[in-house]
Amino acid sequence: MQYPTPISQLIDSFMKLPGIGPKTAGRLAFYVLDMKEDDVLEFAKALVNAKRELTYCSVCHHITDTDPCYICQDKQRDRSIVCVVQDVKDVIAMEKMREFSGLYHVLHGAISPMDGIGPEDINVPDLLTRLQDEQIQEVIIATNPTIEGEATAMYISKLLKPTGMKVTRIAHGLPIGGDLEYADEVTLSKAIEGRREL
Amino acid sequence: MYVKNIRLKQYRNYSDIALQIENTVNVIVGENAQGKTNLMEAIHMLAFAKSHRTSKDKELIGWNHEFARIEASVEREQRHVDLEVILSAKGKKVKKNGIEQKKLSEYIGACNVVMFAPEDLNLVKGGPNMRRRFIDMEIGQISPVYLHDLSKYQRILKQRNQLLKGMFPVPSREQELTLEVIDEQYIEAAVKVIQRRYGFLQQLEGWASEIHTRITQGREQLELQYDPSANIHAEMEASALAEQLRAELERRRENEIRRGLSLAGPHRDEMKLLVNERDVQTYGSQGQQRTAALSLKMAEIELIRAYVGEYPILLLDDVLSELDQHRQSHLLDAIQGKVQTFVTTTSIESIKHETIERATVFTARQGQLEKQ
Repeated sequence: MQYPTPISQLIDSFMKLPGIGPKTAGRLAFYVLDMKEDDVLEFAKALVNAKRELTYCSVCHHITDTDPCYICQDKQRDRSIVCVVQDVKDVIAMEKMREFSGLYHVLHGAISPMDGIGPEDINVPDLLTRLQDEQIQEVIIATNPTIEGEATAMYISKLLKPTGMKVTRIAHGLPIGGDLEYADEVTLSKAIEGRREL
Repeated sequence: MYVKNIRLKQYRNYSDIALQIENTVNVIVGENAQGKTNLMEAIHMLAFAKSHRTSKDKELIGWNHEFARIEASVEREQRHVDLEVILSAKGKKVKKNGIEQKKLSEYIGACNVVMFAPEDLNLVKGGPNMRRRFIDMEIGQISPVYLHDLSKYQRILKQRNQLLKGMFPVPSREQELTLEVIDEQYIEAAVKVIQRRYGFLQQLEGWASEIHTRITQGREQLELQYDPSANIHAEMEASALAEQLRAELERRRENEIRRGLSLAGPHRDEMKLLVNERDVQTYGSQGQQRTAALSLKMAEIELIRAYVGEYPILLLDDVLSELDQHRQSHLLDAIQGKVQTFVTTTSIESIKHETIERATVFTARQGQLEKQ
């Protein structure tokens, strides 16, 4: 069956979003037809604004509508400590915790030769220049505990160690509040490896 | 442990069968292409979530069907587990006591199986990849942590090879530094795999050499050796081993970059079998090689018992007819009354042993199994 052009265009547009196939796209498109015009306009504006007004912070590469971003601008924050993360979503996760008051550096990826990603393709060179002219004393590397995340962490620490900078890596092991018996063997063996003296 | 009942749905040539099975020796008799090995494969699937014959799970789904399912309940010493493997075009699902297990390493080990098929007779004379596969599968069965370490190693290996490929002819400064980092990961993972395999072979050797001496009535002495691809000593402690491997990588660097390949590491290591101090792969007769393979398999049964506390389930797929009477009776004497065993054969008369005469017999005919 042929749809009128405007609706088939709308369906095609929805299908460009991740996780949306032809059926869901069709349902969303027909739902839009039933929406109030004001709501549709607001929705369209929100889409355009998000794209137009959000950029990446020129300092930490976090997503932002002002440059530098609200975190980099915040005078209350501890400027001597930087937490290096792989993704924008990781910053949001750390911020939810409300315990960390330092600054961030978002890499937008991890070193992975299989995917053709080297250190020059993620914001590593930028981190180095940033470390030169700010009063940073400690770098916390919070990349994911995957092979690629670990490689990235080791790479950065290799570059920073000679400068005398304090470089730390976040801990991994058992989740808090979980019972030991429910942990899988691999996590448990990692936790044993990373044990510390009391 | 033993399989108490099993149900196959749309699996290979079985449209739907359910069997009650005793904790004894079970013989499946039938002509060729009636489904004898398919039953063995299904039990193998229950233990390892993969077939011993193919890596393409699609082939296991019955002709013109969407999915295949294997269900079984396995009695263990103090408890029983219900296992389920479901195969479909979308992939594979495994369940333990009705609960889906997302990680295969959490599933494997719920039921222990030792399989002995004609191709295992080539374990000794075949290529090194067969022996590596044997070692990896058997350690994996008793140690989920090993499976994790091994797959981690394999992923790092892929990353490393890809990086090496990009470094020819002139590596950039970033690539050199990245290689240094990946080398550290590679060495750490490799050392874990090597140490585990070395320890496993030592333990296996204890049983295998004893069994081998018994089968050959004291004439032959069997030794197992871990033969690393790099010039390293597998028996050393982790830090010394890492040091040696690091030096070996350095020595091969240029060559590795030129060929875009990792040339030293567990993926190229070998297991050597010596009979009376001579490499049985090169110098052994066909008979010696078969006896060595049999000793290894029988040692595996004992090793699993030592680790798990119970005997595994033994699958003898068309292999008894390949062994002479002397070796047959050694094997059958050893399992008598202890190990639940499945034997497939085209003619039961060809096996002369009291164990077989007292066994439960099933006949396989065109996708049906009937108890006699």
